[in-house]
Amino acid sequence: MHELRIAEDLSAIVLETAGKENLSKVTKVNISFGQLVQIVPDIFEFAFRETVRNSIAEDAELDIEIVPVKMKCMNCGSDFQVKENRFTCNICSSTDLGIIQGKELYIKSIEGE
Amino acid sequence: MKNILDRNQNKANEVRNLLALKKVMMVNIISSPGAGKTTLLERTCEELGAKFRIGVIEGDITTDRDAQRLKKYNIPIVVINTEGGCHLDSHSISKVLDSFDLDNLEVLFVENVGNLICPSQFDLGETFKLAVVSTAEGDDKPAKYPMLFREARAVLLNKIDLIPYTNFNFNSFSSDLKKINAQIPLFKISCIKGDGLTEWYDWISEKINSYR
Repeated sequence: MHELRIAEDLSAIVLETAGKENLSKVTKVNISFGQLVQIVPDIFEFAFRETVRNSIAEDAELDIEIVPVKMKCMNCGSDFQVKENRFTCNICSSTDLGIIQGKELYIKSIEGE
Repeated sequence: MKNILDRNQNKANEVRNLLALKKVMMVNIISSPGAGKTTLLERTCEELGAKFRIGVIEGDITTDRDAQRLKKYNIPIVVINTEGGCHLDSHSISKVLDSFDLDNLEVLFVENVGNLICPSQFDLGETFKLAVVSTAEGDDKPAKYPMLFREARAVLLNKIDLIPYTNFNFNSFSSDLKKINAQIPLFKISCIKGDGLTEWYDWISEKINSYR
């Protein structure tokens, strides 16, 4: 259900940006979601459609990239991708980690004419 | 690159700065419906109400029943009805902060809407998040909702007195949790029977004291 609220915030930013850039139509919105935020792309797409209905972004294509979770080990410095929720360094088994990616809720670009 | 939740994040930063200035620690309590957030607050107010100046923000979909349960402790309580919304956000928190005398508060507990996924995404400006789970929900919650267990400062496993009546496997729960967040403190408690609460009171008291 958080998909709807995030879609609302996304469409507000898209429409505001389109206004600033004097677009008459938004054709594509490129976004990335980290795996940890557990957004379901189909539900998000549905929610987004509802929030842009009757606007210049009504027909915009939504390109959703899901970003895998990557951590940095604070002990040995290596980077690794988290698989099966295992937040432990592959090399030295340390659990003292910093997040590199995986919590994104980002707009990469907005295309229009 | 722009964060989609920028508006929420900016407001959360404002809340965090204000509370830091006032030296009020804010704890964002997240759990499923019925895990025992309100009962935990009842026990905590009973035990620590005389020791600390406590305030509560009750996130409730549509009623004020949780707040009613806490009234007897004579602490400032504000209810935020989300009208169906599945989480609190920083704007709703910011609006109600005016109702508290922040100069006379040491800790503000926020009982989020019962939900393990949505509240994890919305920074309220809290000092830290607390995850509450109960044995009756099953032992698979860390594996299913890793974000919350990654972000929380501590986990409270409530209703441990019910373990004999459920298929809750503590080893499985604990090993999933350790995979996700090896360093997170875990408190095994029963808010009804009282088990494990002393450890929780000591931990939260230490956090409040060190924040002042």
